[in-house]
Amino acid sequence: MAIYSFWIFDKHCNCIFDREWTLISNSASGTINSKQTEETAKLLYGMIYSLRSVTQKLSRDDTANDVRSISIGKYRIHTYCTASGLWFVLLSDYKQASYAHVLQYIHSHIYVKYVTHNILSPYDFAANENETRGQGFRKIGNRNFISSLEAFLAPMIAQ
Amino acid sequence: MAVRMLLVINKSGGLIYHRSFEGDVDKGLNSNDYLILASILHGSFAIATQLTPKALQLSQSSSKNIDYTVPYIPYVGMPRGRTSSERSKYGASAPQGKLGSFKGDDFFKESFQSWNRSGVRQLCTDQFTMYIYQTMTGLKFVVACSQGTLSPANPSSSNNIFNIHVADNFLRKIYCLYSDYVMKDPFYSLEMPIKSTLFDKKVKQMVDNLV
Repeated sequence: MAIYSFWIFDKHCNCIFDREWTLISNSASGTINSKQTEETAKLLYGMIYSLRSVTQKLSRDDTANDVRSISIGKYRIHTYCTASGLWFVLLSDYKQASYAHVLQYIHSHIYVKYVTHNILSPYDFAANENETRGQGFRKIGNRNFISSLEAFLAPMIAQ
Repeated sequence: MAVRMLLVINKSGGLIYHRSFEGDVDKGLNSNDYLILASILHGSFAIATQLTPKALQLSQSSSKNIDYTVPYIPYVGMPRGRTSSERSKYGASAPQGKLGSFKGDDFFKESFQSWNRSGVRQLCTDQFTMYIYQTMTGLKFVVACSQGTLSPANPSSSNNIFNIHVADNFLRKIYCLYSDYVMKDPFYSLEMPIKSTLFDKKVKQMVDNLV
């Protein structure tokens, strides 16, 4: 029951936060908002985006048929999409059935508290037209957000 | 449990068989959309390999520990509620003909290795769950069912590993049907769409048995 990485994407397809743990035994290991994971973030976004467009087409009624989790050989991707176009993505080991409640908690109790309610945080992480469509580089650097997210996720890393 | 559709994707990502078992499923989709769906699923296999988390890449031991053996789950997609002798008697007298191959009434009776080691195996959405079984030769069998599980004996199972195993067992039987009724058809050309009424009939029979 380990988790491997956590990502937040905004409505402009930009990755606005990423956290990857490299050692399961050490919850402080790994990278936060790293430049090296940019390509991975784009691949991850692209894959979820295309699978999501397929499942929405296959929807029986008008409700959006969102992807909840994708099981891939060695690991599993959990997604949670909010109405404001944010995506919370968590990579965990393949046994875990659902992390929907965890992602929902991160959005409602951590993201809203430290990013949305923070008047010093930008309203939109893409400052101008050139930073939309996956070209953005601004990330959430708020220390309170990072520390409370770490505190919340740390017990799950090596469960 | 209710199977919504079944797809067969060849090794180059082309859709060679598509069948939906509920009338209203494909109201908004044309054949082009299904081709796109097949290639997106095929493409996501390649991307998924690239996305393997660093923690898994670094700890080789933990990724070796993953067991890809799929246990044999008896009589998934076979007529239920009878002993095996009654089942074969029933099968022989049934008008559609019986399922099964020369290896017995249940196609296979041993556990098998999953070849889908780094690709998508299960896709859970709000309305349905999709399972993908990949063969050694790269052929993909995809099934979408409206409930989370394909197991008729255990319809409320939320154990994902078990559900994947049931679906793998079912799709491997579809693969057995494919090898019996499509590959042995002398008029079938490889990698081309499947137009075999016998295969259609057997698949329908097997899907009906799931309910």
